[in-house]
Amino acid sequence: MKHLIEGLYVIPGTTGEKPYLIGSKCTACGELFFPKKEKGFCTHCQRKALQNVKLGREGVIQGFTVVSQPPAGGFYKGQVPYAYGFVDLFDGVRVWTQFAGNFAALETGKKAELVIEQICKDEKGDEVFTYMFKPC
Amino acid sequence: MRPIQAMRQVFIGGIGITKWGYYEDIRCYDIGSDAILEALEDSGLQWKNVQAAFCGSVYQDTGSGHQAIKEVGLTGIPIVNVENACSSAASAFRLAYQSVAAEIYDVVLVLGMEKMPRGPIPSTAFRDWELKLGFNLQPGNYALLTQKYMEKTGASVEDFSYVSVKNRKNGSLNPNARFQKPVSIKEVLESRLIAEPLRLLHCSPLADGAVAFILCSKEWLKNSHKKVSVEASVLTSAVYGDEYPPGDIIKSLKYPANRNLAQVSAMQAYEISGLGPEDVDVAQVYDAVAPGELWDIEEMGLCKEGDAPKLLKEGVFDLDGQLPVNTDGGLMARGHPLGASAGAQIYELVLQLRGHAGPRQVRNAKVGLAHAMGAGPNSAVTIVKT
Repeated sequence: MKHLIEGLYVIPGTTGEKPYLIGSKCTACGELFFPKKEKGFCTHCQRKALQNVKLGREGVIQGFTVVSQPPAGGFYKGQVPYAYGFVDLFDGVRVWTQFAGNFAALETGKKAELVIEQICKDEKGDEVFTYMFKPC
Repeated sequence: MRPIQAMRQVFIGGIGITKWGYYEDIRCYDIGSDAILEALEDSGLQWKNVQAAFCGSVYQDTGSGHQAIKEVGLTGIPIVNVENACSSAASAFRLAYQSVAAEIYDVVLVLGMEKMPRGPIPSTAFRDWELKLGFNLQPGNYALLTQKYMEKTGASVEDFSYVSVKNRKNGSLNPNARFQKPVSIKEVLESRLIAEPLRLLHCSPLADGAVAFILCSKEWLKNSHKKVSVEASVLTSAVYGDEYPPGDIIKSLKYPANRNLAQVSAMQAYEISGLGPEDVDVAQVYDAVAPGELWDIEEMGLCKEGDAPKLLKEGVFDLDGQLPVNTDGGLMARGHPLGASAGAQIYELVLQLRGHAGPRQVRNAKVGLAHAMGAGPNSAVTIVKT
Protein backbone atom coordinates (compact mmCIF):
# COMPACT_ATOMS: atom_id res chain seq x y z
CA MET A 1 0.00 0.00 0.00
CA LYS A 2 1.49 3.36 -0.99
CA HIS A 3 1.22 6.21 1.50
CA LEU A 4 1.34 9.91 0.69
CA ILE A 5 3.41 10.59 3.81
CA GLU A 6 5.28 7.96 5.80
CA GLY A 7 5.28 7.81 9.56
CA LEU A 8 1.97 9.53 10.37
CA TYR A 9 -0.03 6.40 11.15
CA VAL A 10 0.23 2.63 11.52
CA ILE A 11 -1.93 0.06 9.77
CA PRO A 12 -1.56 -3.00 12.02
CA GLY A 13 -0.85 -6.29 10.35
CA THR A 14 -3.05 -8.27 12.74
CA THR A 15 -6.66 -8.67 11.70
CA GLY A 16 -9.21 -6.76 13.69
CA GLU A 17 -6.90 -3.99 14.86
CA LYS A 18 -7.75 -0.69 13.20
CA PRO A 19 -5.24 1.90 11.97
CA TYR A 20 -4.11 4.60 14.39
CA LEU A 21 -2.17 7.86 14.29
CA ILE A 22 1.26 8.10 15.90
CA GLY A 23 1.85 11.11 18.09
CA SER A 24 4.37 12.23 20.67
CA LYS A 25 3.62 12.45 24.37
CA CYS A 26 5.74 14.45 26.78
CA THR A 27 6.55 12.36 29.84
CA ALA A 28 7.36 15.55 31.74
CA CYS A 29 4.32 17.80 31.11
CA GLY A 30 1.80 15.47 29.46
CA GLU A 31 1.47 17.47 26.24
CA LEU A 32 0.52 15.58 23.09
CA PHE A 33 1.69 16.36 19.55
CA PHE A 34 0.57 15.23 16.14
CA PRO A 35 2.45 14.54 13.96
CA LYS A 36 5.08 13.02 16.21
CA LYS A 37 8.15 15.14 16.74
CA GLU A 38 11.46 13.84 15.47
CA LYS A 39 13.82 15.37 18.01
CA GLY A 40 12.14 14.21 21.21
CA PHE A 41 12.10 17.84 22.39
CA CYS A 42 8.90 19.18 23.95
CA THR A 43 8.17 22.67 22.64
CA HIS A 44 5.87 23.30 25.57
CA CYS A 45 8.05 22.53 28.59
CA GLN A 46 11.40 22.66 26.82
CA ARG A 47 12.54 19.23 27.99
CA LYS A 48 13.82 16.36 25.89
CA ALA A 49 11.11 14.03 27.22
CA LEU A 50 8.96 12.96 24.26
CA GLN A 51 7.94 9.41 23.49
CA ASN A 52 6.02 8.02 20.53
CA VAL A 53 2.46 7.21 21.46
CA LYS A 54 -0.51 5.50 19.81
CA LEU A 55 -3.32 8.05 19.54
CA GLY A 56 -7.02 7.31 19.91
CA ARG A 57 -9.05 6.94 16.73
CA GLU A 58 -11.99 9.11 17.61
CA GLY A 59 -12.67 12.75 18.27
CA VAL A 60 -14.97 15.65 17.59
CA ILE A 61 -15.02 17.83 14.45
CA GLN A 62 -13.88 21.30 15.51
CA GLY A 63 -14.09 23.12 12.21
CA PHE A 64 -14.04 22.40 8.49
CA THR A 65 -14.06 24.18 5.16
CA VAL A 66 -14.92 22.88 1.71
CA VAL A 67 -12.36 24.16 -0.76
CA SER A 68 -13.14 24.81 -4.41
CA GLN A 69 -9.66 25.49 -5.74
CA PRO A 70 -6.29 23.79 -5.28
CA PRO A 71 -3.64 25.48 -3.15
CA ALA A 72 -0.78 27.22 -4.94
CA GLY A 73 2.60 25.62 -5.49
CA GLY A 74 1.51 22.39 -7.14
CA PHE A 75 2.26 20.27 -4.05
CA TYR A 76 -1.30 19.03 -3.65
CA LYS A 77 -2.28 16.20 -6.00
CA GLY A 78 -5.63 15.23 -4.54
CA GLN A 79 -9.18 15.92 -5.60
CA VAL A 80 -10.82 19.32 -5.74
CA PRO A 81 -13.18 20.15 -4.14
CA TYR A 82 -11.79 18.80 -0.88
CA ALA A 83 -12.68 19.40 2.74
CA TYR A 84 -10.26 19.93 5.60
CA GLY A 85 -10.24 21.23 9.13
CA PHE A 86 -9.67 19.99 12.66
CA VAL A 87 -10.65 17.05 14.79
CA ASP A 88 -10.07 17.20 18.53
CA LEU A 89 -9.17 13.67 19.56
CA PHE A 90 -10.60 12.51 22.88
CA ASP A 91 -6.96 12.05 23.93
CA GLY A 92 -6.59 15.83 24.06
CA VAL A 93 -4.82 16.84 20.87
CA ARG A 94 -6.14 18.77 17.86
CA VAL A 95 -5.39 17.13 14.54
CA TRP A 96 -5.30 18.82 11.15
CA THR A 97 -7.04 16.55 8.68
CA GLN A 98 -8.92 16.13 5.44
CA PHE A 99 -12.44 14.79 5.67
CA ALA A 100 -13.73 11.75 3.81
CA GLY A 101 -17.20 10.91 2.62
CA ASN A 102 -20.05 13.24 1.82
CA PHE A 103 -19.14 16.82 2.72
CA ALA A 104 -22.77 17.61 3.41
CA ALA A 105 -22.54 15.30 6.44
CA LEU A 106 -19.84 17.47 8.07
CA GLU A 107 -20.86 19.43 11.13
CA THR A 108 -18.85 21.05 13.88
CA GLY A 109 -19.41 19.12 17.08
CA LYS A 110 -20.06 15.79 15.36
CA LYS A 111 -18.03 12.73 16.31
CA ALA A 112 -15.53 11.54 13.71
CA GLU A 113 -13.21 8.55 13.37
CA LEU A 114 -9.91 7.88 11.63
CA VAL A 115 -10.05 6.26 8.20
CA ILE A 116 -7.41 5.47 5.60
CA GLU A 117 -8.49 6.70 2.18
CA GLN A 118 -7.08 7.09 -1.28
CA ILE A 119 -6.09 10.67 -1.99
CA CYS A 120 -4.60 10.41 -5.48
CA LYS A 121 -2.77 8.16 -7.93
CA ASP A 122 0.98 8.32 -8.53
CA GLU A 123 2.75 8.56 -11.94
CA LYS A 124 2.45 4.77 -12.33
CA GLY A 125 -1.28 4.89 -11.76
CA ASP A 126 -1.04 3.22 -8.34
CA GLU A 127 -3.35 4.38 -5.57
CA VAL A 128 -1.82 6.56 -2.85
CA PHE A 129 -3.35 6.67 0.62
CA THR A 130 -3.53 9.03 3.56
CA TYR A 131 -5.35 9.35 6.86
CA MET A 132 -8.60 11.27 6.97
CA PHE A 133 -11.49 11.57 9.38
CA LYS A 134 -15.09 10.69 8.68
CA PRO A 135 -18.19 11.57 10.69
CA CYS A 136 -19.53 8.56 12.55
CA MET B 1 18.93 46.29 27.81
CA ARG B 2 18.43 50.03 28.11
CA PRO B 3 14.90 50.89 29.17
CA ILE B 4 12.76 52.33 26.43
CA GLN B 5 12.53 55.67 28.26
CA ALA B 6 16.30 56.10 27.91
CA MET B 7 16.15 55.70 24.14
CA ARG B 8 15.74 58.75 21.95
CA GLN B 9 12.66 59.56 19.93
CA VAL B 10 12.59 58.42 16.31
CA PHE B 11 10.78 60.31 13.55
CA ILE B 12 9.51 59.40 10.12
CA GLY B 13 11.39 61.97 8.08
CA GLY B 14 10.29 60.89 4.63
CA ILE B 15 7.82 58.59 2.91
CA GLY B 16 7.47 57.20 -0.60
CA ILE B 17 5.18 54.76 -2.35
CA THR B 18 4.44 53.43 -5.83
CA LYS B 19 1.04 52.78 -7.30
CA TRP B 20 0.13 49.18 -6.50
CA GLY B 21 -0.76 47.21 -9.61
CA TYR B 22 0.05 44.10 -11.62
CA TYR B 23 2.96 45.01 -13.86
CA GLU B 24 4.47 42.77 -16.48
CA ASP B 25 7.34 44.88 -17.70
CA ILE B 26 8.88 46.25 -14.56
CA ARG B 27 11.40 44.66 -12.25
CA CYS B 28 11.10 44.70 -8.50
CA TYR B 29 14.15 46.94 -8.20
CA ASP B 30 12.44 49.48 -10.46
CA ILE B 31 9.54 49.99 -8.09
CA GLY B 32 11.81 49.64 -5.06
CA SER B 33 14.09 52.42 -6.24
CA ASP B 34 11.10 54.61 -7.18
CA ALA B 35 9.83 54.38 -3.61
CA ILE B 36 13.30 55.15 -2.20
CA LEU B 37 13.72 58.22 -4.40
CA GLU B 38 10.30 59.53 -3.41
CA ALA B 39 11.03 59.01 0.30
CA LEU B 40 14.38 60.76 -0.07
CA GLU B 41 12.82 63.74 -1.80
CA ASP B 42 10.05 63.90 0.79
CA SER B 43 12.64 63.90 3.57
CA GLY B 44 14.66 66.74 2.10
CA LEU B 45 17.79 64.64 2.69
CA GLN B 46 20.31 63.20 0.27
CA TRP B 47 21.36 59.59 -0.23
CA LYS B 48 24.76 60.35 1.33
CA ASN B 49 22.95 61.09 4.63
CA VAL B 50 21.52 57.57 4.83
CA GLN B 51 23.64 55.39 7.10
CA ALA B 52 21.95 51.98 6.88
CA ALA B 53 19.10 50.23 5.06
CA PHE B 54 16.67 47.49 6.02
CA CYS B 55 14.74 46.06 3.07
CA GLY B 56 11.71 43.79 3.34
CA SER B 57 10.59 41.40 0.60
CA VAL B 58 9.44 37.78 0.44
CA TYR B 59 9.71 36.36 -3.06
CA GLN B 60 12.63 38.31 -4.46
CA ASP B 61 15.99 36.74 -5.04
CA THR B 62 19.01 37.11 -2.85
CA GLY B 63 20.28 40.69 -2.46
CA SER B 64 16.92 42.19 -3.40
CA GLY B 65 17.30 45.38 -1.34
CA HIS B 66 20.76 45.85 -2.80
CA GLN B 67 19.31 45.70 -6.32
CA ALA B 68 16.95 48.59 -5.60
CA ILE B 69 19.60 50.64 -3.77
CA LYS B 70 22.05 50.16 -6.65
CA GLU B 71 19.71 52.36 -8.71
CA VAL B 72 20.12 55.12 -6.11
CA GLY B 73 23.65 55.15 -4.68
CA LEU B 74 26.53 52.94 -3.59
CA THR B 75 27.99 54.33 -0.40
CA GLY B 76 29.07 51.17 1.40
CA ILE B 77 26.38 51.42 4.05
CA PRO B 78 25.09 48.19 5.59
CA ILE B 79 22.11 46.81 3.68
CA VAL B 80 20.16 43.98 5.27
CA ASN B 81 17.30 42.10 3.62
CA VAL B 82 14.41 41.09 5.83
CA GLU B 83 11.89 38.32 5.18
CA ASN B 84 8.99 37.91 7.58
CA ALA B 85 6.21 37.05 5.14
CA CYS B 86 3.41 39.63 5.17
CA SER B 87 5.02 41.46 8.09
CA SER B 88 8.36 41.95 6.30
CA ALA B 89 8.07 45.72 5.85
CA ALA B 90 7.05 46.23 9.48
CA SER B 91 9.90 43.95 10.60
CA ALA B 92 12.37 45.99 8.52
CA PHE B 93 10.82 49.16 9.96
CA ARG B 94 11.34 47.83 13.47
CA LEU B 95 15.03 47.10 12.91
CA ALA B 96 15.52 50.58 11.47
CA TYR B 97 13.60 52.14 14.34
CA GLN B 98 15.66 50.32 16.96
CA SER B 99 18.94 51.35 15.35
CA VAL B 100 18.01 55.04 15.41
CA ALA B 101 16.48 54.85 18.91
CA ALA B 102 19.66 53.23 20.20
CA GLU B 103 21.70 56.03 18.59
CA ILE B 104 23.60 53.63 16.36
CA TYR B 105 22.52 55.66 13.33
CA ASP B 106 20.81 59.00 12.77
CA VAL B 107 19.26 58.36 9.34
CA VAL B 108 18.09 54.93 8.13
CA LEU B 109 16.18 53.75 5.07
CA VAL B 110 13.29 51.28 5.30
CA LEU B 111 12.13 49.62 2.11
CA GLY B 112 9.27 47.19 1.54
CA MET B 113 8.69 45.84 -1.93
CA GLU B 114 7.34 42.92 -3.87
CA LYS B 115 6.75 41.79 -7.38
CA MET B 116 4.51 38.77 -6.82
CA PRO B 117 5.49 35.54 -8.61
CA ARG B 118 3.29 34.88 -11.59
CA GLY B 119 1.48 31.57 -11.56
CA PRO B 120 1.83 29.14 -8.63
CA ILE B 121 3.16 30.73 -5.47
CA PRO B 122 5.72 28.72 -3.52
CA SER B 123 4.81 27.44 -0.08
CA THR B 124 4.53 29.90 2.75
CA ALA B 125 5.92 28.46 5.95
CA PHE B 126 4.23 25.04 5.79
CA ARG B 127 5.77 21.63 6.35
CA ASP B 128 6.01 18.99 3.64
CA TRP B 129 3.15 16.82 4.92
CA GLU B 130 0.86 19.86 5.16
CA LEU B 131 1.64 20.86 1.58
CA LYS B 132 0.83 17.37 0.30
CA LEU B 133 -2.49 17.30 2.16
CA GLY B 134 -3.54 20.73 0.86
CA PHE B 135 -3.40 22.60 4.18
CA ASN B 136 -1.44 25.54 2.75
CA LEU B 137 -4.48 27.17 1.16
CA GLN B 138 -4.63 30.49 3.01
CA PRO B 139 -8.29 31.26 2.25
CA GLY B 140 -8.99 27.76 3.60
CA ASN B 141 -7.08 28.49 6.80
CA TYR B 142 -8.75 31.85 7.19
CA ALA B 143 -12.10 30.14 6.54
CA LEU B 144 -11.46 27.93 9.58
CA LEU B 145 -10.79 31.04 11.70
CA THR B 146 -13.83 32.76 10.18
CA GLN B 147 -16.14 29.96 11.27
CA LYS B 148 -14.84 30.14 14.83
CA TYR B 149 -15.39 33.90 14.80
CA MET B 150 -18.93 33.53 13.44
CA GLU B 151 -19.76 30.93 16.10
CA LYS B 152 -18.32 33.13 18.84
CA THR B 153 -19.90 36.43 17.82
CA GLY B 154 -22.99 35.41 15.87
CA ALA B 155 -21.71 37.42 12.89
CA SER B 156 -23.15 36.40 9.53
CA VAL B 157 -21.42 36.23 6.16
CA GLU B 158 -23.27 39.38 5.17
CA ASP B 159 -22.03 41.14 8.32
CA PHE B 160 -18.39 40.73 7.43
CA SER B 161 -19.01 41.28 3.72
CA TYR B 162 -19.47 44.93 4.59
CA VAL B 163 -15.73 45.09 5.29
CA SER B 164 -15.09 44.44 1.59
CA VAL B 165 -17.64 47.09 0.66
CA LYS B 166 -16.13 49.69 3.04
CA ASN B 167 -12.55 49.03 2.02
CA ARG B 168 -13.22 48.99 -1.71
CA LYS B 169 -15.06 52.30 -1.25
CA ASN B 170 -12.07 53.78 0.62
CA GLY B 171 -9.80 52.37 -2.07
CA SER B 172 -11.68 54.34 -4.72
CA LEU B 173 -10.36 57.48 -2.98
CA ASN B 174 -6.76 56.20 -3.00
CA PRO B 175 -4.90 56.83 -6.27
CA ASN B 176 -2.22 54.32 -5.22
CA ALA B 177 -4.59 51.39 -4.68
CA ARG B 178 -4.65 48.59 -7.24
CA PHE B 179 -8.46 48.46 -7.16
CA GLN B 180 -10.25 51.77 -7.35
CA LYS B 181 -13.77 50.66 -8.16
CA PRO B 182 -16.19 50.17 -5.27
CA VAL B 183 -18.06 46.89 -4.98
CA SER B 184 -21.63 46.37 -3.82
CA ILE B 185 -22.70 43.97 -1.09
CA LYS B 186 -24.52 41.98 -3.78
CA GLU B 187 -21.32 41.58 -5.83
CA VAL B 188 -19.45 40.40 -2.74
CA LEU B 189 -22.09 37.85 -1.76
CA GLU B 190 -22.37 36.51 -5.31
CA SER B 191 -18.63 36.26 -6.00
CA ARG B 192 -17.08 32.82 -6.52
CA LEU B 193 -16.85 30.53 -3.47
CA ILE B 194 -13.23 29.73 -2.65
CA ALA B 195 -13.27 28.00 0.76
CA GLU B 196 -16.54 28.02 2.64
CA PRO B 197 -17.67 30.56 3.73
CA LEU B 198 -15.10 32.81 2.04
CA ARG B 199 -15.72 34.09 -1.46
CA LEU B 200 -13.43 35.79 -3.95
CA LEU B 201 -14.37 39.32 -2.89
CA HIS B 202 -13.75 38.44 0.76
CA CYS B 203 -10.09 37.75 -0.02
CA SER B 204 -7.46 40.40 -0.63
CA PRO B 205 -6.04 40.17 -4.14
CA LEU B 206 -2.31 40.18 -4.91
CA ALA B 207 -0.36 43.16 -6.27
CA ASP B 208 3.12 44.45 -7.06
CA GLY B 209 4.25 47.49 -5.10
CA ALA B 210 6.87 49.26 -3.03
CA VAL B 211 6.97 51.66 -0.09
CA ALA B 212 9.88 53.39 1.64
CA PHE B 213 10.62 55.47 4.72
CA ILE B 214 13.48 57.57 5.98
CA LEU B 215 13.61 57.17 9.76
CA CYS B 216 15.71 59.72 11.59
CA SER B 217 16.47 61.50 14.82
CA LYS B 218 14.86 64.90 15.46
CA GLU B 219 17.88 66.86 14.24
CA TRP B 220 17.57 65.32 10.79
CA LEU B 221 13.97 66.35 10.14
CA LYS B 222 14.21 68.71 7.17
CA ASN B 223 10.78 69.02 5.61
CA SER B 224 8.05 71.32 6.85
CA HIS B 225 5.44 68.61 7.43
CA LYS B 226 3.94 67.86 10.83
CA LYS B 227 6.43 65.77 12.77
CA VAL B 228 5.40 62.11 13.07
CA SER B 229 7.21 60.02 15.69
CA VAL B 230 7.33 56.27 16.16
CA GLU B 231 5.99 55.41 19.61
CA ALA B 232 6.12 51.62 19.32
CA SER B 233 7.37 49.11 16.80
CA VAL B 234 6.69 45.62 18.10
CA LEU B 235 7.12 42.14 16.67
CA THR B 236 5.79 38.98 18.29
CA SER B 237 6.52 35.66 16.59
CA ALA B 238 4.70 32.47 17.60
CA VAL B 239 3.01 32.00 20.95
CA TYR B 240 2.68 28.45 22.32
CA GLY B 241 -0.76 26.94 22.20
CA ASP B 242 -2.14 29.66 19.93
CA GLU B 243 -4.56 28.95 17.10
CA TYR B 244 -3.51 30.42 13.77
CA PRO B 245 -3.76 28.01 10.82
CA PRO B 246 -2.59 30.61 8.28
CA GLY B 247 0.66 30.62 10.26
CA ASP B 248 0.84 26.83 10.53
CA ILE B 249 -0.09 26.92 14.22
CA ILE B 250 -2.63 24.49 15.65
CA LYS B 251 -4.15 25.12 19.04
CA SER B 252 -2.89 23.07 21.95
CA LEU B 253 -5.80 21.53 23.83
CA LYS B 254 -3.81 20.80 26.99
CA TYR B 255 -1.95 24.10 27.11
CA PRO B 256 -3.86 26.69 25.09
CA ALA B 257 -2.56 30.26 24.90
CA ASN B 258 -4.25 32.78 27.19
CA ARG B 259 -3.79 35.46 24.61
CA ASN B 260 -3.06 35.03 20.94
CA LEU B 261 -0.17 36.47 18.99
CA ALA B 262 -2.00 39.61 17.92
CA GLN B 263 -3.21 40.38 21.43
CA VAL B 264 0.26 39.90 22.90
CA SER B 265 1.83 42.24 20.35
CA ALA B 266 -0.88 44.86 20.87
CA MET B 267 -0.38 44.80 24.64
CA GLN B 268 3.36 45.21 24.23
CA ALA B 269 2.86 48.14 21.86
CA TYR B 270 0.51 49.92 24.25
CA GLU B 271 2.84 49.32 27.18
CA ILE B 272 5.93 50.59 25.36
CA SER B 273 4.19 53.65 23.92
CA GLY B 274 2.30 54.56 27.06
CA LEU B 275 -0.78 54.95 24.85
CA GLY B 276 -3.97 52.92 24.99
CA PRO B 277 -6.56 51.77 22.48
CA GLU B 278 -8.72 54.73 23.50
CA ASP B 279 -5.99 57.06 22.19
CA VAL B 280 -6.00 55.59 18.68
CA ASP B 281 -7.62 57.94 16.13
CA VAL B 282 -7.07 55.88 13.00
CA ALA B 283 -6.08 52.24 12.46
CA GLN B 284 -4.78 50.17 9.56
CA VAL B 285 -5.42 46.52 10.42
CA TYR B 286 -4.85 43.22 8.70
CA ASP B 287 -7.71 42.56 6.27
CA ALA B 288 -6.16 39.65 4.34
CA VAL B 289 -9.75 38.39 4.42
CA ALA B 290 -12.79 40.55 5.21
CA PRO B 291 -13.72 38.98 8.58
CA GLY B 292 -10.07 39.32 9.59
CA GLU B 293 -10.51 43.07 9.89
CA LEU B 294 -13.21 42.52 12.50
CA TRP B 295 -11.34 40.11 14.75
CA ASP B 296 -8.23 42.20 14.29
CA ILE B 297 -10.00 45.34 15.58
CA GLU B 298 -11.04 43.35 18.65
CA GLU B 299 -7.63 41.78 19.20
CA MET B 300 -6.02 45.22 19.05
CA GLY B 301 -8.34 46.15 21.92
CA LEU B 302 -9.99 48.84 19.81
CA CYS B 303 -13.44 47.57 20.78
CA LYS B 304 -14.91 44.90 23.03
CA GLU B 305 -14.65 41.29 21.91
CA GLY B 306 -17.60 40.42 19.72
CA ASP B 307 -18.67 44.05 19.12
CA ALA B 308 -16.89 44.70 15.82
CA PRO B 309 -19.64 43.42 13.46
CA LYS B 310 -22.25 45.63 15.09
CA LEU B 311 -19.97 48.69 15.15
CA LEU B 312 -19.08 48.15 11.49
CA LYS B 313 -22.77 48.24 10.60
CA GLU B 314 -23.21 51.41 12.63
CA GLY B 315 -20.50 53.12 10.58
CA VAL B 316 -18.02 53.45 13.45
CA PHE B 317 -15.14 52.27 11.23
CA ASP B 318 -16.09 54.40 8.20
CA LEU B 319 -13.98 57.40 7.16
CA ASP B 320 -16.32 59.73 9.00
CA GLY B 321 -16.88 57.34 11.90
CA GLN B 322 -15.51 57.39 15.42
CA LEU B 323 -12.58 55.11 14.60
CA PRO B 324 -11.81 54.93 10.88
CA VAL B 325 -10.19 51.64 9.92
CA ASN B 326 -8.27 50.88 6.72
CA THR B 327 -8.81 54.35 5.37
CA ASP B 328 -6.78 53.71 2.21
CA GLY B 329 -8.75 50.63 1.26
CA GLY B 330 -6.67 48.10 3.22
CA LEU B 331 -5.20 44.99 1.66
CA MET B 332 -8.59 44.50 0.05
CA ALA B 333 -8.32 47.50 -2.28
CA ARG B 334 -4.57 48.16 -2.28
CA GLY B 335 -3.83 44.53 -3.11
CA HIS B 336 -1.18 42.53 -1.28
CA PRO B 337 2.48 42.66 -2.32
CA LEU B 338 3.70 40.57 0.61
CA GLY B 339 6.93 42.41 1.31
CA ALA B 340 5.36 45.87 1.13
CA SER B 341 1.85 45.70 2.62
CA ALA B 342 2.83 46.30 6.22
CA GLY B 343 4.69 49.40 5.06
CA ALA B 344 1.69 50.73 3.16
CA GLN B 345 -0.28 50.63 6.39
CA ILE B 346 2.29 52.87 8.10
CA TYR B 347 2.49 55.12 5.02
CA GLU B 348 -1.24 55.82 5.22
CA LEU B 349 -0.97 56.58 8.93
CA VAL B 350 1.72 59.18 8.21
CA LEU B 351 -0.45 60.81 5.51
CA GLN B 352 -3.34 60.93 7.96
CA LEU B 353 -1.26 62.38 10.79
CA ARG B 354 0.30 64.98 8.46
CA GLY B 355 -3.17 66.00 7.25
CA HIS B 356 -2.32 64.96 3.68
CA ALA B 357 -4.90 62.23 3.10
CA GLY B 358 -7.14 64.38 0.89
CA PRO B 359 -10.64 62.95 0.47
CA ARG B 360 -9.70 60.16 2.93
CA GLN B 361 -8.65 62.59 5.65
CA VAL B 362 -9.68 61.66 9.16
CA ARG B 363 -10.30 64.71 11.34
CA ASN B 364 -7.82 65.37 14.15
CA ALA B 365 -5.80 62.25 13.55
CA LYS B 366 -3.01 62.37 16.13
CA VAL B 367 -2.36 58.72 16.97
CA GLY B 368 -2.33 55.88 14.46
CA LEU B 369 -1.96 52.13 14.86
CA ALA B 370 -0.92 49.65 12.17
CA HIS B 371 -1.15 45.89 12.56
CA ALA B 372 0.15 43.25 10.18
CA MET B 373 0.14 39.48 10.58
CA GLY B 374 2.47 37.23 8.64
CA ALA B 375 3.03 33.54 8.06
CA GLY B 376 5.65 32.34 10.49
CA PRO B 377 3.65 33.34 12.30
CA ASN B 378 4.33 36.99 13.10
CA SER B 379 2.34 39.87 14.48
CA ALA B 380 3.76 43.37 14.03
CA VAL B 381 2.22 46.43 15.66
CA THR B 382 3.39 49.99 14.97
CA ILE B 383 2.08 53.07 16.76
CA VAL B 384 2.83 56.56 15.43
CA LYS B 385 1.94 59.94 16.85
CA THR B 386 2.01 63.61 15.97
